[in-house]
Amino acid sequence: MEKLVEAEELRTNFYTFEGVVKALNGVSLVVNNGETYGLVGESGCGKSVSVRSMMRIVQAPGKIEEGKVVLFFNEKDRNKGIDILKRSEAYMQSIRGNDISMIFQEAGTALNPVLSIGFQVGESFLLHRRGEMIKLAVKTLDKKIDENSNSLFRMWRKFHKRLLQNETDDLERYKTEIVKIDSDLYRTEGKTDSKSLEKHKRLLVNRERLNKQGLKVRLQLKTPIIRRYVRRINAAVREKVIELLTDLGVPNPGNIVDRYPHELSGGMQQRIVISIALACNPTLLIADEPTSNLDVTIQAQILDLIRQLKKTQISSVLFITHDLGVVAEICDRVTVMYAGDTCETASVKDLFKEPMHPYTKGLLKSVPKGEIGEKLQTIPGTVPNLITPPSGCRFHPRCPDVMEICKSQKPEMLMMKDGHSVACHLYRKK
Amino acid sequence: MNSVNNENSTSAINVDYEQPVSQHPALTEAIFTVKRFIKNPLSIIGLTIILVFTLIAIFAPFLAPPENERDPYRIPHDGWTISPSPPSADHPFGTMEQQYDIFYGIIWGTRSAFKIGFSVVLINLIIGVILGSIAGYYGGLFDEIIMRITDMFYALPFLVVAMALVVALGRGLQSIIIVMIILGWPTYTRMIRGDILTIREKDYILAARASGTSDLKIIIRHILPNSVYSVLIVASMNIGATVLTAAALSFLGLGAETGYADWGQMVSMCRNWIVGPPDARLAYWYVVFIPGFVIALFVLGWNLLGDAARDVFDPKMRRK
Amino acid sequence: MILVLVGVSLIVFAIMMLIPEGQRVAIYVTGEKIRNEQIDSLIVKYGLRDPAPVQYFRWIKNIFKGDFGHSITASAPVIEGFKMYFPVTLELVLYSTPLIILVGIWLGTIGAVHKDKPIDHFTRIFAIVGYSLPTFWLGLMLMMFFYGLLGIFPPGTISIVGKDILYNPEYHQYTRILTIDAILNGNWRMFWDAIYHLTLPTINLVLLSSALIMRLMRSSMIDALGQDYIRTAMAKGADKKTIYNTHARRNALIPVITISGLMFAGLMGGMVITETIFARKGIGLWMARAATQLDVAAIMFNVLFLGVVFVVINLIVDLIYAWVDPRIRLT
Repeated sequence: MEKLVEAEELRTNFYTFEGVVKALNGVSLVVNNGETYGLVGESGCGKSVSVRSMMRIVQAPGKIEEGKVVLFFNEKDRNKGIDILKRSEAYMQSIRGNDISMIFQEAGTALNPVLSIGFQVGESFLLHRRGEMIKLAVKTLDKKIDENSNSLFRMWRKFHKRLLQNETDDLERYKTEIVKIDSDLYRTEGKTDSKSLEKHKRLLVNRERLNKQGLKVRLQLKTPIIRRYVRRINAAVREKVIELLTDLGVPNPGNIVDRYPHELSGGMQQRIVISIALACNPTLLIADEPTSNLDVTIQAQILDLIRQLKKTQISSVLFITHDLGVVAEICDRVTVMYAGDTCETASVKDLFKEPMHPYTKGLLKSVPKGEIGEKLQTIPGTVPNLITPPSGCRFHPRCPDVMEICKSQKPEMLMMKDGHSVACHLYRKK
Repeated sequence: MNSVNNENSTSAINVDYEQPVSQHPALTEAIFTVKRFIKNPLSIIGLTIILVFTLIAIFAPFLAPPENERDPYRIPHDGWTISPSPPSADHPFGTMEQQYDIFYGIIWGTRSAFKIGFSVVLINLIIGVILGSIAGYYGGLFDEIIMRITDMFYALPFLVVAMALVVALGRGLQSIIIVMIILGWPTYTRMIRGDILTIREKDYILAARASGTSDLKIIIRHILPNSVYSVLIVASMNIGATVLTAAALSFLGLGAETGYADWGQMVSMCRNWIVGPPDARLAYWYVVFIPGFVIALFVLGWNLLGDAARDVFDPKMRRK
Repeated sequence: MILVLVGVSLIVFAIMMLIPEGQRVAIYVTGEKIRNEQIDSLIVKYGLRDPAPVQYFRWIKNIFKGDFGHSITASAPVIEGFKMYFPVTLELVLYSTPLIILVGIWLGTIGAVHKDKPIDHFTRIFAIVGYSLPTFWLGLMLMMFFYGLLGIFPPGTISIVGKDILYNPEYHQYTRILTIDAILNGNWRMFWDAIYHLTLPTINLVLLSSALIMRLMRSSMIDALGQDYIRTAMAKGADKKTIYNTHARRNALIPVITISGLMFAGLMGGMVITETIFARKGIGLWMARAATQLDVAAIMFNVLFLGVVFVVINLIVDLIYAWVDPRIRLT
């Protein structure tokens, strides 16, 4: 299988007043093209922080300390990746929401309370598909120009068409420049000779400095009255948003676009969050516990929706959850995390059939199987404080099979058999 | 009832045994609070300023021995010469109009400032706690009436109404204090009422109620301790603000009579001396600068202290 | 709204009733000197010993007739005095309010965006000093430095040259607001003269009043930037500017708007002091003089007027609040 995204040894810290929270302790994971990948663990084990680090959207006071996040998005050359942690913020902005997008837990707080649904969904279109939107606007404008014979209106509309054309030209310019820089960047990526390194550095700076909009466009966007033509683009965006919402099975989308988040139910809010993520047909969808605060029936609906989308629109899904039932239902491969460490990676079948890591075993034992009168087992102890994490393997204070070495040495990821790897000293070859 | 209490107490003991407690959690919290407070340089500055002012107020009779023991707030003056004289050995900060000693005024004015600030804020706090807890805890008609009255007070610009009231009551420091009490209580009442409304519905209050604790006990034991921090922070900042407003009213000529040791009164006297004679335009800077600077410092001290206290006690701010 | 206005009138009336009748009678005395014996008969004549409700309704009736009595300090009926003083105050408000809001919101945002950087420390110190400094002291210092030391920005409303222009028959006073009239007359000299005198009072008000807004804006912006919806916007690929301006700022403004009513109350107080210091013949100076000279009519009128203005401002603030925050639109 082809890799799509690979995170290597990610370390992310949060600098709080009490001390440095070492949230990620070298997390590595690989999402392959076309699979649904699960990330499970207790609350606070660093699942969300991992994916946020992968998208570089860790909010203050968090900071990604080291590691690599490599994307293999290039159609021609699947083997050569781009380390996005080294790329510019502007590059990341063009990736986020376009190639990788994200669904959040608690849709209620993930939506901005003061902006309309239409705006929040449409913003993705405006950010990544502005050219198309302008084309749509021009199309409707053309129709109107033909219909109306009043010369004053005609002039006004032609003027608007001209302004829209300006924007298109400008976008064209931006695109060619970006493509050029990006391909140069891609070529120099990973080369070690000093000349390439220097060039790479310079290109990164250029990429950051490149103006998204030319002077003319900025002027026409800022001047009152003249900037009214933007309404035509917004109308086109609105059409697109309604279309998207209809596709996602949102009832009465024409009405919903003008509503505000607080006026919708939890399930509907989650659908809106999903539609924001899906607006630009991403290659990878990251779902961060999208169902954790919903009713069971709504949960099932949302899971169905994601599964369906996986079939039709998106190639890969990275699904974060603490619910092993959901994992069994939806995922192909799973990684189990504990306190900022990756413990075990396996296909879903292998993981449930023969779990290897003591933590995974404990986790599986604590899942109710639906038998009457069954007594659930728990893992003794509590999740460690990550300001002063345990030395060596972070699970050792709670591990039933703890050995002397566990206390001092962090276990490495060991490949046990095809596609099944575990980080535990128990399986170390003697 | 008894059995419930018993169960509660045993479970509490269990929890204590279970945790490997090396330190009482309240102690940890207190240490954290103190550490946090010390780490913030602004809070130290604030604390120092207030401490210095407190010492000045306490030792005023030694720092500036009054000429007339019975009326120490009267600033002594050397003769009746109109124009101020610059700092000298006899008058470290110089003298004002009619040769009132600025140094003496500042020292004894500190006492006046504390008197104004504490009396106003303390009385307002008492009124606020009583009315606010009754309104918040019982609600109903009483709540409605009190809230409408505070609404009316809120609908008026503070200083403007204070001016009118002082005029109505007759000029003087006494009137200023009374006026600020009349106009100040709604702030505290509202705050405490709001806090109580949010706390009232918490589970532990319901539990206390269900176990038959009396209302007064619930208010005093459970509700007030929870809202007391936020109120105290506002109160500490208001001590500064009160002194500031009093000074502003004095500045407008509504305060104490000439020669009374009050900072505001001293500032109001300096208005004629902003610009000196043509050959030395800043000749009388000390008259204008010193009293106002002292007021600013006093207010700044309380504000810094209140700010720091908020950072430390406010659960929303403290972990940032 | 009406209820609040009635409340305001009741409070003002109550304050008025605290004043002894002998002084209250001054409201009705126009110009001429009266002897002590006459006071008693005047008190009876104007019914100042009637029961309070009767007096209250008589007072309200007079207000609706536009009769507020005679002001000693303006040596004219109160309404005439108001027409004379109000434009000066309005002019100062017109220039300082937008500046206060702009400076406050702008600096607060900058502080929040660059949290814990030098610029943030600067804004924080600016804010805390700003709301600790006494208005009058800052005003005095500004005047001492600029006028006293450098000899620029003199106190007053207008220079002597300006006064000459003002009383020139060819110069029309359309609004009585100096700068606007100057522009309407095309008289630039007058315009600059007015601005010259406006500078220090405006700086004084802006420095002090914007501190409160800035402080709140900073903390609420920091709060907003830590919210989940900002993460959503980041995940969408929005750039920093969009995130600050579109996603965070609107949310951050909500608490600032709620407190802006309070800021206006402070501004009115600051206006009284600023006008007193810089000798601008506006409502504030009129009030301060009236207060020291026991000009009851002028004080009561101004308290009532500013009270009503404040009520209206609060109404506007509520409307803006509803416009910014869709969550309260329905209620």
